[in-house]
Amino acid sequence: MLRYYLALGLRSLRRNPALTALMVLTLAIGVAASISTLTILHVMSGDPVPSKSKRLLVPLLDVAPKDSYVPGQREPYSQQSTYRDTINYLRGGPGVRRTAIIDVGSSIEPARREDPLIDVQGIGTTTDYFKMFDVPFRYGGAWSAADDERGSRVAVLSRKKAAQVFGDVDPVGKLIRVWGNDFTVIGVVGDWNPVPRYTHLINGSGGYFDGEEQIYVPMKTAVDLEVQPNGNVTCMHEAGAGWAGFLASECIWIQVWFELASAADRPAAQAWLDNYAAQEQKGGRLMRHAPNELFNVMEWMSVLKVVRADNKLAVWLSLGFLLLCIVNTMGLLLAKFSTRASEVGVRRALGAGRAAIFRQFLVETTVVGLAGGLLGLALSFGALALIRQQSKDLSAVARMDWEMLAATFVTAVLASIIAGLLPTWRACQVTPALQLKSQ
Amino acid sequence: MLHMKDLAKVYRTHMIETHALRGFDIDVKEGEFVTVTGPSGSGKTTFLNIAGLLEEFDGGEYLLDGVSVKGLSDNARSRLRNEKLGFIFQGFNLIPDLNLFDNVDVPLRYRGFNAAERKRRIDQALTEVGLASRMRHYPAELSGGQQQRVAIARALAGTPRLLLADEPTGNLDSQMARSVMELLEQINANGTTIIMVTHDPELATRAQRNVHIIDGRASDLRRGPSLVQSHATA
Repeated sequence: MLRYYLALGLRSLRRNPALTALMVLTLAIGVAASISTLTILHVMSGDPVPSKSKRLLVPLLDVAPKDSYVPGQREPYSQQSTYRDTINYLRGGPGVRRTAIIDVGSSIEPARREDPLIDVQGIGTTTDYFKMFDVPFRYGGAWSAADDERGSRVAVLSRKKAAQVFGDVDPVGKLIRVWGNDFTVIGVVGDWNPVPRYTHLINGSGGYFDGEEQIYVPMKTAVDLEVQPNGNVTCMHEAGAGWAGFLASECIWIQVWFELASAADRPAAQAWLDNYAAQEQKGGRLMRHAPNELFNVMEWMSVLKVVRADNKLAVWLSLGFLLLCIVNTMGLLLAKFSTRASEVGVRRALGAGRAAIFRQFLVETTVVGLAGGLLGLALSFGALALIRQQSKDLSAVARMDWEMLAATFVTAVLASIIAGLLPTWRACQVTPALQLKSQ
Repeated sequence: MLHMKDLAKVYRTHMIETHALRGFDIDVKEGEFVTVTGPSGSGKTTFLNIAGLLEEFDGGEYLLDGVSVKGLSDNARSRLRNEKLGFIFQGFNLIPDLNLFDNVDVPLRYRGFNAAERKRRIDQALTEVGLASRMRHYPAELSGGQQQRVAIARALAGTPRLLLADEPTGNLDSQMARSVMELLEQINANGTTIIMVTHDPELATRAQRNVHIIDGRASDLRRGPSLVQSHATA
């Protein structure tokens, strides 16, 4: 019977093409508006690393002075770690892997003096970074733990930067000159572009969604070369003199990640952090006694407000608009179905139960929904293309994926079914005797 | 075939109660051709609607082919309508968007026949009413008499036990009316029970039996001519 209802639905829609087009267009516009904003929210708030997101943790200690401390209120700038804590985390922290990220930037000096300098933004990190975040390699690979210990002059480049410096060849083993030193290129990262950029949400070369690390060097190498941090540095105490004084200070400027073997290990990691903080307090640090916090990936993105309030508001507004479109379509369907009361009367007399009439009309509204979904999809692609023109950040998130493609159709069909429920129900309530006599 | 005993039907508004049928008794045997006559508002159409399971009744008993229909669900009533009853209306009630083939197909779809069986029945029914060659035409392309023939074909396609006709010739000129009546007589001769509401005394006389309804009650008059005569005398 489904095919029969489908044929009847198509025939009925063809009978009044203008009304049908109006219903399809109304639904399509509502669907496109809501799907476009939902797509952006979906990409912004999506879990960028579902297999690990609960096992990757950012530790935070509140190192700010005791005065002006309000218990329970987190110091808004305490989102990174000191060098001292970072080194302690890396040496003895919890989990199977630990890494740290400092922002670095410079210029790659060209082989020929007459060529221009090539700007480069990146991070100083540790070898665990590459395994922790499953970074793929196009050429070569990561440096070793021994390179971390030694502060080797090695570098990993992004694919784009490697191509910019060396052209489209394997540059492994070649030298680049940065910060006045020669670095051996040991690897080139393949296509890797997590959205949001959860690994490096603070001070990344780009926003939460756009940009990439162009160069990776061992953190110890950058520290040994006294490479000035390229990102935010917050000092809530007086720092000592010189580079050594900076490293020993309570300035926070490094992002740290722990990778646990299992999310169930989180209480143990929390215990380790609390114990570490207690030891430091005995040494005269961390006088606020504020809570010591761990955040997994999704919590970390929430703390940093990766999804802004206006993104959420836009979704609510677009859903409100979709509701308006549904109500509008409902009105059009009511008008359309009311002209078919006599047909319903005839069908009822000839043996159709109320359920059969309900199914027939619901299939018809679903056909409208599918057509609205197809057109809505085309309009969504157009809307997303327009949104991508607005900013680099938006261009990274205004992209349709398979989930949202399916969501477009589900939304359109659900919207049409919701719009069709009342008209369909009313069609079922037709009194056949009345309609048959009034013919 | 159809048995109603002490049947009552009341239409209520918030101010008025109208007794459309009260103490209504009728028995129609299998194979009979019964005409139902009566003045406007006497309850003819109400009787036909209740007989056709298109309306509920408020009291009494109604057995259709030996089955009590009181309290049946909407589904069960629809199934009974589909399997045992055929309808012919004064206004033909064809679906204008469907061609003749698809119009006749409607009750067969709800019956659940497969495509081959449906086609066989549609061909046969349209051949019986002389319109097999026009099965791809739409109702608007036919005359009133032809449309009524299609409606008859649609009613016949499901081989109903009982055909209910509500003034089937009311919208037709006399020649077409005669032709439709001849078709109904032929159908009855083939064994289908027919109950036909009519205002036409001449048609009423042609049936084996005439039931006259006045004020919601039925008077069973065996022969049409005596009815016409008695009314004329009165």
